[in-house]
Amino acid sequence: MEYEASKLFFAGIDIGSTMSKVVVVDAGGKMLGYVVGQTGAEHRRRANKVMEDVLLKAGVPLDQVAYIISTGYGRVNVPFADRQVTELTCHAKGVASLFPDVRTAIDIGGQDAKVLKIKGGRLTDFLTNDKCAAGTGRFLEVAAETLGLGLNEMGQISLQSDTPVKINSLCTIFAQQEIISRLSEGQPLTDILAGVYIAVTTRVVKLARQLKVEPPVVFTGGVAKNAGMVKAMQTVLGTPVLVPEEPLITGALGAAILARDEAFKLVKDGRYTMEKKQLSEAYIEFTEKGR
Amino acid sequence: MVIATTKGLSRAHEVYADRGLRVRELRKAGKKVIGYICLYPPIEIITALDMVPFRVFGDMSEPITAADQVSTTVVCPFLRSIIDLGIKGKFNFLDGIVGAHTCDIGMTLLISWRDYVKDAPFTHLIDVPHTDHAPAVDYFEGQINSFKRHLEEFAGEKLTADKLKKACELHNKQRKLVRELYDLRKSDPPMLTSMENTEVLVALFSLPVDEGNELLEDVIREIKGRSIKPARKKARLLVWGPVFDNTSLYELIESADANVVIDDTCVGTRAFWADVKAPYDLHALAQRYLVDLKCPRTYRDTQHQETVRNYDKDLDSRFNYIKKAITDWHVNGAILQSVKYCDTHGYEVPNLRHYLDTLGIPSIYIEHDYSERSLAPIKTRVEAFVETLG
Repeated sequence: MEYEASKLFFAGIDIGSTMSKVVVVDAGGKMLGYVVGQTGAEHRRRANKVMEDVLLKAGVPLDQVAYIISTGYGRVNVPFADRQVTELTCHAKGVASLFPDVRTAIDIGGQDAKVLKIKGGRLTDFLTNDKCAAGTGRFLEVAAETLGLGLNEMGQISLQSDTPVKINSLCTIFAQQEIISRLSEGQPLTDILAGVYIAVTTRVVKLARQLKVEPPVVFTGGVAKNAGMVKAMQTVLGTPVLVPEEPLITGALGAAILARDEAFKLVKDGRYTMEKKQLSEAYIEFTEKGR
Repeated sequence: MVIATTKGLSRAHEVYADRGLRVRELRKAGKKVIGYICLYPPIEIITALDMVPFRVFGDMSEPITAADQVSTTVVCPFLRSIIDLGIKGKFNFLDGIVGAHTCDIGMTLLISWRDYVKDAPFTHLIDVPHTDHAPAVDYFEGQINSFKRHLEEFAGEKLTADKLKKACELHNKQRKLVRELYDLRKSDPPMLTSMENTEVLVALFSLPVDEGNELLEDVIREIKGRSIKPARKKARLLVWGPVFDNTSLYELIESADANVVIDDTCVGTRAFWADVKAPYDLHALAQRYLVDLKCPRTYRDTQHQETVRNYDKDLDSRFNYIKKAITDWHVNGAILQSVKYCDTHGYEVPNLRHYLDTLGIPSIYIEHDYSERSLAPIKTRVEAFVETLG
């Protein structure tokens, strides 16, 4: 089978605690397709499934994928990955590829929150939350369940409030009880919901302030899809935040771009030993074109 | 007398894996074993009175189940683990235990021991002042003296100047040998891993000083003579913080692209960096333990009774020994670790990170609750930290 050099591809797969994400890029780092699915209990099967889906979607055969990097907390469970890189490095790379000037990135996922300091596209410092659901997507899920609302619906309703109630508990479970007692006090739902977003945001911003928040700030992760959350983040930070079109996939995107960089580096060092002649060709074509 | 069949690193591993192994044998042979908590009881006195000092640690793989009757979970889990093991009878080979007011919980541990463990016939608490000024050293000397008298009574013999001098020399020899062992990690790659280093040091805390010295000599010879060496890695790290008596954290760090080449911890360098100086009397002990031993539990200001604090000067006087380690061991990153709820070390972290920043040494701070299983979430952070280095 004949390969065209420019038809070589690189993939990043991000197995998060709640969602699995895959991105495929070409030699120029351009995203060709992505797939997002629930992680569930069986990481390995999930990794295979999302990979198949993304290749189908992007119209890329597996044997033309030259290098794959896995990331996220399930990164060890991706049997076909060439290398594992932490989600912190991958997110920084992904965010910087979309917003080259970014200095601070805040990522809130299903069960974790992270703050990244980035300079010149490189991760320079970071903090993550420890072992607790406060300030993560899980907190919002618990609130939504308590109130019998969908996550998106909850965000939309919250936008109508300018006077959010205060939710003081740090703990997700205690906060849930606080929501119930505010409801029974007769506080309007709009204000309670706005209060929920402020509460989650405050916990994460506290983390971010330890590293000094410098603009531009990019907000990513599944939680950044929520309108109420974005509004709360801008309010609490006191600065506008940028949100990528698809905020869930920055980690996978970063992994895919790192896969490209890593493969090219191996070629350059003469260490890429697999019989993938086309990779060298892609590299030459890529460097000749310039970035 | 039972003769050990293993030598060098395998002997160290054996004692590391079963810390009471040797002292149980010695006790059967009639020796008295005196446990001690933290680094402040002067162990030279125990050795000089012909007893075996045994450093008491917790157990990171044993869930804390019995200590709840003594303290709630907001208390330092390392010290909770010790009392937990004590209640469970795991230190029943000790004839005595000596505590010191290194920190508040460190002190109350000894009091709880008297209330809840009760195994050992001898217990003693040494008060340790929290500054290193001259009057504090004099007071501490008095505390060492009352410990000496109490232990003499228990031993049924007097401590002579000659015996104390001999014990000081033996312990100083151990310190010198440990520093030689650390020198073997100055090269790139280092000649031994931080896991091996930890096993050796934990074994030293579990053996009489002369046997420990013999072990060290064997270990150093073995390492110098072997052909297998650790791999060269991207990061050469310093690990800082309170007690870490287990290899698990080092394994976690070295499973990333990193070697731990030096530490500032109380199972590592802090225990062995300072010698007791001539004339090897109680004042020399007070000086060694209160002034020369560097642990954040002792506050050092740049100048006694200063009214205005010069921040930079203060940082330098507190941490310049770390700067020296960074240079000598060619360190390019630092992992600051602490057991949860350790306010002694918690106070130090922001200032130390700032100091490291001024030296151009990137650092991260990680907290654990002194259990092997709690380390998993730290793995990603350590790996990411290593990825950010050069």
